[in-house]
Amino acid sequence: MDAEEAGRVTPCMVSTGFFVLGRCGRAPVAACGRCGRPICDRHAGPGGVCPECAAAQGYSSPYDPLWTSGFRRHHYYSSSTTYSDPGWYGSFDDYDRGAFDPEDQGDFGDFGDGDDRDFVDS
Amino acid sequence: MRAAYFAFDRFPSSKGSAVHIGQMAAELFDRFGGGLLGVLGGGGLPRYQREGDVEIARFDEQIPNLIDRAEAYSHWVARHLAPHLETLELVHVRDPWSALPVLGHRHKVVYEVNGLPSIELPHTWPQAAPATVAKLRRLEAHCLEQADAVVVPSSVIGDAIRKMGINPEKVFLVPNAADPVAPAPAPTLATATATATATVGASAAPRARPPGAPEHYIIYVGALQRWQGVDVLLRAFARLADLTDLRLVVCSSVPERRAKPLQRLADRLGVAERIVWRFTLPHDEVAGWLAGAAVSAAPLTACPRNLDQGCAPLKILESMAAGTPVVASDLPAVREILGDDGRLVAPDRPAELARAIRILLEYPEQARAMAARAGGRVPTWADSRAKLAEVYSRV
Repeated sequence: MDAEEAGRVTPCMVSTGFFVLGRCGRAPVAACGRCGRPICDRHAGPGGVCPECAAAQGYSSPYDPLWTSGFRRHHYYSSSTTYSDPGWYGSFDDYDRGAFDPEDQGDFGDFGDGDDRDFVDS
Repeated sequence: MRAAYFAFDRFPSSKGSAVHIGQMAAELFDRFGGGLLGVLGGGGLPRYQREGDVEIARFDEQIPNLIDRAEAYSHWVARHLAPHLETLELVHVRDPWSALPVLGHRHKVVYEVNGLPSIELPHTWPQAAPATVAKLRRLEAHCLEQADAVVVPSSVIGDAIRKMGINPEKVFLVPNAADPVAPAPAPTLATATATATATVGASAAPRARPPGAPEHYIIYVGALQRWQGVDVLLRAFARLADLTDLRLVVCSSVPERRAKPLQRLADRLGVAERIVWRFTLPHDEVAGWLAGAAVSAAPLTACPRNLDQGCAPLKILESMAAGTPVVASDLPAVREILGDDGRLVAPDRPAELARAIRILLEYPEQARAMAARAGGRVPTWADSRAKLAEVYSRV
């Protein structure tokens, strides 16, 4: 691809940067097999997918109401063979968890976007 | 892969913790030739990134309940760790949810304690029962006992860890730091409209005044939890009403909705019109606001979080590095950082805080001289990273 042609096509759209995120911007060599966005040779992974789609394979939907309990059960089951002390994982019961439901605080939906109520330091 | 760093915290973000994560992780990956950085995502951050020899994976499941979310995160950490268990030499963590899944393997574990959830969570989640908090405390103690080294940013936190019965020989102080910041030019109308372009660590060109910055202001930088004492600062500011050209700038690291109670308080105190709010500014822009302030305030309250657990507020270090005079609460953790080169006042006392601010404003030359002395005692991130490197060598 010459410089003029490279200037016309959409550049690689993969997010890069450590403190400040931006687009990669290199000349694309393919489109991601899952999301379709252009990716350069540096970001085309095995199977022709972008790094995010490659990582996303295997993530399930947390919007299914049974997901959290299923996740938890699976988590205890798998961790009991992986970790030295699985008892820690089962130690929080529904009563403990209840205090950490966001709707109790009247601000459901606030979680996860720069909230200062998780585990923080100044 | 030889190294990994996990934190139940969003990265990058406008919080001080993100600065800390960036510096500590950079040291780890420099030493081990790259590795895996596992952090929280959301807000449009990609789930996965490759930066040279560093992989960044972000947990972004929107699970409402905090404990459910933390446990799902723990499981996510375990899944990301599993393919590398044979080659990993060192894993650095910041919280029990990251620590749990990485313990019990052949690699060494360095646990960096900036705060203890068993002390901090009751402040932010007051409905948590004492029995629940006790379980959290046991969880923390388990992780700290199992870790090969514990890193603390303040000797007050180190004392709190030792009081928990953790072997003092494996607790190491790696102080928080700040890199030097160019001073702001003297306030003029011309510079008042200039664009802020300077970055942290730029030491040559004078820093431009941030757009929208008042001519004469005091500043608070940081999050807005109750233990920060921003309400005390608002009450103190109300006592400075005679200084009609003085403004209070609040650079909040958290979104505006968290400021509503404080904004209502400012209304009631009649100071709302004289406060300039800025939310979730990028870290390099905050440096410009700090450098231009007449005084920087850290009005931490005398609560168990600040007194017993301790803290090492980056806002104080960064104010010192910017050459801005600091007024802060007289707490052991603050005294450790500031020494005699700042104005220390009794915590939770708006009148005393107001008086200390007024004195610094009335004697600007002495205040700047004090700030210059304070600037000389701030460790740089290079110093801090060298101390962390020593810890890595020892384990």
